[in-house]
Amino acid sequence: MNLKLGMYILKRLSLMALVMFGVSIIVFFIAHVIPADPVGALLGGNAPPALVDQMKHQLGLDKPLWEQFEIYMVGLLHGNFGTSLKSNRPVIQDISEYFPATLELAIFSIIFSIILGVILGIISAVHRNSWADHFSRIFSILGVSMPVFWTGLILLLIFYYLLGWLPGAGQLSLFTIPPKRITGMVIFDALFTGDWAAFWDGLRHIVLPSIVLGYAATASIGRITRASMLDVLRQDFIRTAKAKGLSKRIVIYRHALRNALIPVITVIGLTFGGLLEGAVLTETIFGWPGLGRYIVNALLVLDYPAIMGGTFFIALAYSLANLAVDLTYAALDPRMRI
Amino acid sequence: MHKFTFVLVGLILLMGIVGFSTIPKDTLVIGANTGIFITLDPAVCYEVLPSVVVMNTYSGLFKLESSNGVIKTVPEIAKSYEISKDGKAWTFHIRHGLTFFDGDPLTADAVIYSYRRVLKLNKSPVWLYESIGLTADNMNKTIKKIDDYTVQIITNKPYAQNVVMSILAESWGGIVDPKITEAHSVNGDMGSRWLTDHSASSGPYILKTWKRNSMIVLEANDRYWRGAPKIKRIIIRDAPESTNQLLSLKRGDIDVAWNLTPDQINSLKGSNNVKIVTTPGQSDEYVGMNAGWGPFKNAKVRLAVKYAIDYQSIIKDVVGGYAINNQGFIPYGYFGYVSQTPFHMDIAKAKELLKEGGYPNGFEVELVTNTTERRRNEAISVQSALAKIGIKARITIMQASQMYSKFRQQGLQMIVAGWGVDFPDADALAKPFADYRVKQLAWRLMWYDDYAANLAEKAGFEKNPAKREQMYEDLTDYWFLNGPFAMLYQPLQYWGVRSEVKGFDKAVQGYALVCDLTEIYK
Repeated sequence: MNLKLGMYILKRLSLMALVMFGVSIIVFFIAHVIPADPVGALLGGNAPPALVDQMKHQLGLDKPLWEQFEIYMVGLLHGNFGTSLKSNRPVIQDISEYFPATLELAIFSIIFSIILGVILGIISAVHRNSWADHFSRIFSILGVSMPVFWTGLILLLIFYYLLGWLPGAGQLSLFTIPPKRITGMVIFDALFTGDWAAFWDGLRHIVLPSIVLGYAATASIGRITRASMLDVLRQDFIRTAKAKGLSKRIVIYRHALRNALIPVITVIGLTFGGLLEGAVLTETIFGWPGLGRYIVNALLVLDYPAIMGGTFFIALAYSLANLAVDLTYAALDPRMRI
Repeated sequence: MHKFTFVLVGLILLMGIVGFSTIPKDTLVIGANTGIFITLDPAVCYEVLPSVVVMNTYSGLFKLESSNGVIKTVPEIAKSYEISKDGKAWTFHIRHGLTFFDGDPLTADAVIYSYRRVLKLNKSPVWLYESIGLTADNMNKTIKKIDDYTVQIITNKPYAQNVVMSILAESWGGIVDPKITEAHSVNGDMGSRWLTDHSASSGPYILKTWKRNSMIVLEANDRYWRGAPKIKRIIIRDAPESTNQLLSLKRGDIDVAWNLTPDQINSLKGSNNVKIVTTPGQSDEYVGMNAGWGPFKNAKVRLAVKYAIDYQSIIKDVVGGYAINNQGFIPYGYFGYVSQTPFHMDIAKAKELLKEGGYPNGFEVELVTNTTERRRNEAISVQSALAKIGIKARITIMQASQMYSKFRQQGLQMIVAGWGVDFPDADALAKPFADYRVKQLAWRLMWYDDYAANLAEKAGFEKNPAKREQMYEDLTDYWFLNGPFAMLYQPLQYWGVRSEVKGFDKAVQGYALVCDLTEIYK
C-alpha cells in the first residue's frame, strides 16, 4: 500500500468517527424528543401513576436530560449501549443475537441482486430496444414500485401455500436442530460445521425472503449496469476490439463489462449498506429474527437504550459499507485518492 | 443463459422435493406474534400471551379455572386455607411432597420467597400486591411462614375472598425455586435477568427455549403434581404477519393461529381442516369523556353522547361481529355482570339531552385514539355519530405510549381506548371505572364522584355474595347515568385451530386471564 492510499484511509476513518459522533448526538435527542413516556409504554395502559414514577426513578429517566446524555455518551465511549428496558439484557448482547440473521439475509439478497441485476443489465444494453430490453425495464419498474409487503405475500402464496415448494417462515424448520453457533448466521454455521441437513433447510428458508428483499436492489443494479454498459460500448476501445475481430462474447464480457462495473460497485455497496438496516417488512412477513424487527419492537415500547443502540449500530454498519466502497474505488481508481 | 435457467429451475424443484415436516401427535405448534414478549419471570411478566406461558409453567397457591364463561379460583399448591375473624389474616396450607421440576422441594419457604420477591423487584405486577396492603416495607410482617407447609398473609383491609384469591392466582403468584433463582442472581436482581428466559418452576410445563423473535419451546413436566400433560411439547412459533399464520394453518404447519383478523377468521368458515374457536375477551372497549373539561362537566351532555353512538354498527362493521354488546364495566361471565343494555342510537333523545345540558348547537372536541386500525375505525364511527347531534369531534391518532402518557396526566378531552382486566373479580373493574381515588380511569377522566367511589370500595369488602352483587348492580345503574364512559363493546377472542386439536375451546375459555394448555390433546 503506498503512502497516498494510507493517508486516504486515515482521512476516511477520521471522517467516519466524526460522523458517528454526530449520529450518536442526533440519535439521543431524537429518541428523547418523542412526546411519550417510555415507562408508561413498558408498563401498559393499566399501570397506576405511582408505579410509573417509581420505575422512572429506578431507570434514571427522571434525571435531567443533560445528565442522561452524559451517562449515554460515557457508556458509548466504553462500548456500552446500555441495558434494554424491554429485554433486560445489554443492548449489545441483543444486537449480537439479531444482527447475524439480518447480515445473512442481506448477503443472500445482494448475491441474488448482483447475479440477476448484472445479467439483466447486460442483456438490456447489448440488445437495446429489443423485447428483452423492454422486459428488463418493466421488471425493474415493478421492482422499485411494488411494495415489499405485497411482493412478499404473493410469493408466499404461490411458492409456499399453492405449490408447496418452499417453506413459509423462520430461518429453519421447527424440527431441524440449529447448527452450533459460530457466526450466528445459520447457513454459514451449518456449512462450517458440516451440518448438511441444517444447511439445506436454511437455504430453502432464505430463498423467498432474499428474493423479496433483493428485488428492488436487482432493479437498481440492472438499470445502472445497462446505463454503464451502453456508455462503455460506445467507446473507441470497444470499436477497436470489434475491429480486431474478437468474438462478441469476449468484447462484452472481457472488455466492456469489466469497465462498466465500476459505477455498479458503488450502487452495490450502498445497497448492501441499506440491506443491513434490517428489512422490517421482509422480516415481519417471513418471521425472520433480524435487527429490523428488534428495533421496531423497541420503538413500540419506546425502549430508549435499544432504539439508540440499534440505530447507532446500523449507522455504523452503513458507514462501514460506505467506507468499503470508497476504499475499493480508491484501489481501482487512483484519482479518487486525491 | 439457457443453462443458467435450467440450473435455477432445477434448484427450485429440488428444494421442493424435500417435503415439509409434519407435526407429531404429542406436539402442539402455535403461530403467534411474539414481539410482545418481554420476560417470562412471573414477578415481572404482565402481558397477555407471555402470561399464558408463565401460568402454564409456574404453579401458585391457587389457579384460575373457567367453566361456562365463569372464572373462579381453585386451590393449586394450597390444599386448604382459613380466614381470620377480622378478615385480614389469610392462612394457607400447602400440599406435602410437591417438588419443582428439578426435584427441589416446594415448601412454605419458596412461597414466602416468591411473594416477597415480587415486592422487592418492584416491577409491573407489584401494584396488585400493594392494592391489598402487601408492600416491600411491611413484607416481613405481612408475609409470614408459620411452618414448613403453612404460610400466612396479612392484608390491610378485610377484602372479599375472591379479590385476594384471584390476585394470588394470577401469573405473578407463580412460585419460583429459591435455590435456582438465587444461584443465578446478579447484582441483587434475585435471578430476574436469568428468569427472563429460563424456568425455576413446578407447573405442568417447563420452559426449554426462548429464541427471541423465533420460537418458544415448552416441554411437559413429568413431576407436575397433577400428572404430566398429554401434549408433551408446545412450540410457539413467531409469525408476526397474520397472513403467514393463516397460510401456515391451512397447510398444517401450525396447529393454532393466534393473531388472525376478523376477515381471515371468517374465511375459515366451512373449512374441513380448520375450526374457529371464540370466547368472550377479558376487556372492555370504551369512549371516555373528561368530566373536568368544558361541556363534559355536565352529566346530561355525557348522556347525550351515550345515546348518539351507534353501538350495533361498531360491533358489526368494525369488529366483524366478534364482540358482545356489553354496556356495563363488568365483563360477561363475571360475578356482578349486568346484562342491561340501556343505550342504543337515539338521535332525537341525544339532541334533547344536549339541549338540556346547555349545548343545543353542539361543540368542538378533540377525540384521541391510538394507531391500530380497529381503534381508528371506532373513532371514525363515534365521530360520525356525534356529528349528527352537532358535536364536531376532531380525531387525533397517537402512538399508544404517547396517548396513555397524556391520559395519565388527565390531559385528554375524549378518548377511544380499551381496558384489560387485571384479575378476575368485579373489583378489578369497579375501582378503575368508578373510584377516582385509585387514580386509574375515573381519575384520568376527572370523574370525582364520591358516591360511586364509596360504593366501589365498599363492594370490594363485602363478604355476603348476594349483597355484593346488588352493590355492583346499583353502582352500574348509577354509572350508566352519571359516569364519563360509553362502553362500546366487550371483544370476543378468536383463533383458527386445526381440526385434529381437541380441547382448545376449553383451554381458552377464560383467555387473557387464564389459558390452561393442559386441556389440549390430539
